[in-house]
Amino acid sequence: MRPWLGWALKLSLVGLVVLAGFAVYLDAIVQEKFSGKRWTIPAKVYARPLELFTGQKLSKEDFLTELDALGYRRESVSNGPGAASVNGNTVDLNTRGFQFYEGMEKAQPVRVRFSGDYVAELSATNGSKLSVVRLEPLMIGGIYPKNLEDRILIKIDQVPPYLLETLVAVEDRDFYSHWGVSPKSIMRALYVNTSGGRMTQGGSTLTQQLVKNFYLTSERSLSRKLTEAMMAMLLELHYDKREILEAYLNEVFVGQDGQRAVHGFGLASQFFFGQPLSELKLHQVALLVGMVKGPSYYNPRRNPERALERRNLVLDVLEQQGVATAEQVAAAKKMPLGVTTRGKLADSSFPGFIDLVKRQLRQDYRDEDLTEEGLRIFTSFDPILQMKAEASVNDTFKRLSGRKGADEVEAAMVVTNPETGEVQAMIGSRQASFAGFNRALDAVRPIGSLIKPAVYLTALEKPSQYTLTSWLSDDAFSVKGADGQVWKPQNYDRRSHGTVFLYQGLAHSYNLSTARLGLAVGVPNVLKTLARLGVTREFPAFPSMLLGAGGLTPIEVATMYQTLANGGFNTPMRGIRSVLTAEGEPLKRYPFQIEQRFDPASIYLIQSAMQRVMREGTGSSVYNVLPKTLTLAGKTGTSNDSRDSWFAGFSQDLLAVVWLGRDDNGKTPFTGATGALQVWSSFMRKADPLPLDMPQPDNIVQAWVDSRTGQGSDASCPGVVQMPYIRGSEPPPGAACGGESPASGETVMDWVKGWMN
Amino acid sequence: MNKWLIPAVTAVALLSGCSTVQRGSIPVVDSGSAVSNSERIQANGGFRQTTVKRPAQAQTQAIPQGDTGVVVMVPGGGAVASAPISTSPITPGPITPGPIDTSPVQSAPINQGSYNMPSTPSGIPSASTGGGLSADEQLDGPVLALLTTAQQQQAGGDLNGASSSLERAQRVAPREPQVLYRLAQVRMAQGDAAQAEQFARRGLTMANGRPDLQASLWGLIAQAREKQGDSAGAALARQKAKVSL
Repeated sequence: MRPWLGWALKLSLVGLVVLAGFAVYLDAIVQEKFSGKRWTIPAKVYARPLELFTGQKLSKEDFLTELDALGYRRESVSNGPGAASVNGNTVDLNTRGFQFYEGMEKAQPVRVRFSGDYVAELSATNGSKLSVVRLEPLMIGGIYPKNLEDRILIKIDQVPPYLLETLVAVEDRDFYSHWGVSPKSIMRALYVNTSGGRMTQGGSTLTQQLVKNFYLTSERSLSRKLTEAMMAMLLELHYDKREILEAYLNEVFVGQDGQRAVHGFGLASQFFFGQPLSELKLHQVALLVGMVKGPSYYNPRRNPERALERRNLVLDVLEQQGVATAEQVAAAKKMPLGVTTRGKLADSSFPGFIDLVKRQLRQDYRDEDLTEEGLRIFTSFDPILQMKAEASVNDTFKRLSGRKGADEVEAAMVVTNPETGEVQAMIGSRQASFAGFNRALDAVRPIGSLIKPAVYLTALEKPSQYTLTSWLSDDAFSVKGADGQVWKPQNYDRRSHGTVFLYQGLAHSYNLSTARLGLAVGVPNVLKTLARLGVTREFPAFPSMLLGAGGLTPIEVATMYQTLANGGFNTPMRGIRSVLTAEGEPLKRYPFQIEQRFDPASIYLIQSAMQRVMREGTGSSVYNVLPKTLTLAGKTGTSNDSRDSWFAGFSQDLLAVVWLGRDDNGKTPFTGATGALQVWSSFMRKADPLPLDMPQPDNIVQAWVDSRTGQGSDASCPGVVQMPYIRGSEPPPGAACGGESPASGETVMDWVKGWMN
Repeated sequence: MNKWLIPAVTAVALLSGCSTVQRGSIPVVDSGSAVSNSERIQANGGFRQTTVKRPAQAQTQAIPQGDTGVVVMVPGGGAVASAPISTSPITPGPITPGPIDTSPVQSAPINQGSYNMPSTPSGIPSASTGGGLSADEQLDGPVLALLTTAQQQQAGGDLNGASSSLERAQRVAPREPQVLYRLAQVRMAQGDAAQAEQFARRGLTMANGRPDLQASLWGLIAQAREKQGDSAGAALARQKAKVSL
């Protein structure tokens, strides 16, 4: 008897001590995790913010696309952040405000009036002029760890009306009065547990749900239930109701997006409605709260009927509990679910560009910083241009699908702004949303004739020897290389074109005249020019390099052409502008850097020749779809047997490089002109860029020359054309051809004609 | 509860107490160069120093090319291209209708910003800067607003912010040389003389017909070269600054 009692006493004492110890331990856990940083937040990547100012080139359609992507509600009268109303050519909107690197952009009402494809006026709604306004940037992705949980942190004072009341009414009516556990629900849970055999009954308080998700695994057992209850009470002991509720709002699991777990109402709001949480209306709040019970079962995208039923049930509860009036509930019930469809701008993913951003970030940050610290990454990505680029690839492939072998052809595209060196769009795969091999960054392919501007630029930098109207022979030849192999280049059409003007060799992409010119200026010098243009890859100085036997990636080609487009100033390609911490503090900037590599005059000449490519040469089909007034410069590229189809070209404000080819390096049915140029033209037509207009450098003169002989002539003579020359290299002017006596010009022409015959 | 859990839990409790991880330590990096006070630009910090207005002298001299003044060697009159030069004009810019342009010299495009500037200039940024813009250098609209913001940021010592605002202005008006001039000034203040020179040079390629601005840009290039230890280059730039005016 006595030993038994003694043992019991001792045991219960031990039990008590253990329980107390356990409580102390749990308390430490509860406090440690709750008081520190509660969540790891993946870095968020933002597109460029859309700038608005009078005179800006922006069509109303593109503007509305952007507003839709940002989740602006269309209302008859715009009131409150995130609302917009369209009235003919005028759009009223209330911007949301955003913290940028340069400072806070405040939320404000704005009126934008469009005229044609321009912003004609930007004003506040009271009529006063505004000089420049930025919209908040579109979030285009995040940088997630392997086991990915994503959330947008919110503060409790950012929640929309009804959210807290609805949550409490639906999930835990006694929330404000209990101590973390509700004895009623425990009794009920125990009852169900004992009678039903398994612990399936819910009825936990919000605090318990938080504890369960925040600290514990999803295992269901009595011991875990007890631990949960203890922790819930400890949590309530240390923190007040608002703090607990705020943590709940951020912790709650509301859905799965592929591999990404959507946590918290902040992200849920963006994920399902494309809007910030604070802007949600009653019917949207009811849906989100209703989904907590079963995020997958009530998924409004997959099971819209169930979700609607659940939402309306929640609305009924709100009416019963007096949270909302009968009229409000009736009105909310009439609303559709209002969930964004996936695949639109807001939901599309842009793996090609995000890949570029990640690579740039990994040079400066550890993986943990990117996946855990909630960094805000501001990029130059332009979602409107990206959509246009993707549409151009899709449209062109659809149009060309009849060609044999077109189906296996892959695509890559890089779009940049030549004036800033910023990457604006990127396609790494024909299926742009496919995250895999990023051909824009990683496919090293022979560039073919894309190298030719480097050959001609090398020559044009020696104005004493070469001008645009110097003569080049296009006759066949062969040379013995250093390796003993004989190199015998051929033209694409397998014939020689006699004697041509220098610029014509480029415009028509003649291999023979280009190779002759390249050998004359020296292969090593051409490679030096290539390096000055920004190509860091090293090539052996073989003659075949002159026709593009060397391989480059599309982004490297973009860097090279960027220097040509930007007046001879090289800019390292940038995709990121700045990085802010989760709290909005400036962390890092990626500044604009330039370096002059060429005299503007020689660049002026090569641009002039590259314009001829488009007007009369291999790129001339571009003007089948674009207006003649749009001055463009570019170059086609085709590697041997049409294995690679390239086009690289630019307007004043837009540079695009397109590559088409097969991953197995097989033959394609496309040349640069019939393949890549088609995508490029389609893109330029959609993007509607500004005509190329390089300021004429001081040391450039325009001279009148005879279009057949290239000799100096006069404006009054027939058959003359104006050509740019570096001062001193122009041909001496010819005599005027007066109205009465068409003098020397005519006779020269006659003489030339006679000689020809 | 399993018995083995008790010692385990106690052990874990002890351990976890000792191993609290300190989170949230991102190394703060700023790629901008350190600010050098000695390199601060003019105390007025303004858009540019007030340049003495003088009637612009004849034309700027041609910039000596390594290779100028050479007579080009055109092959004898006998040669004829297999295809004539296409008669469509090759001059950059919007195409003029018809192949023949009657003016013998193409006038250089002046200040063709990529945006339409409203025709009514709203004036100089701020009287308090002590600086001012000569009449031909007045800006308007978004560029003025952003340059003003940048100026305030610079005055407050926030050179990275100023840089960032100027790059924003550069995106809005990529061909406005004044933006590049200001960007060059801020790079200078950040101690990056090499980039300051580059931006000023880029500005020069867009400042045709704007002698005051050209002089200021050359002046800045002189400063930047001095700072980089290139006193000969600096002297040359100062010469150019005088010629420009």
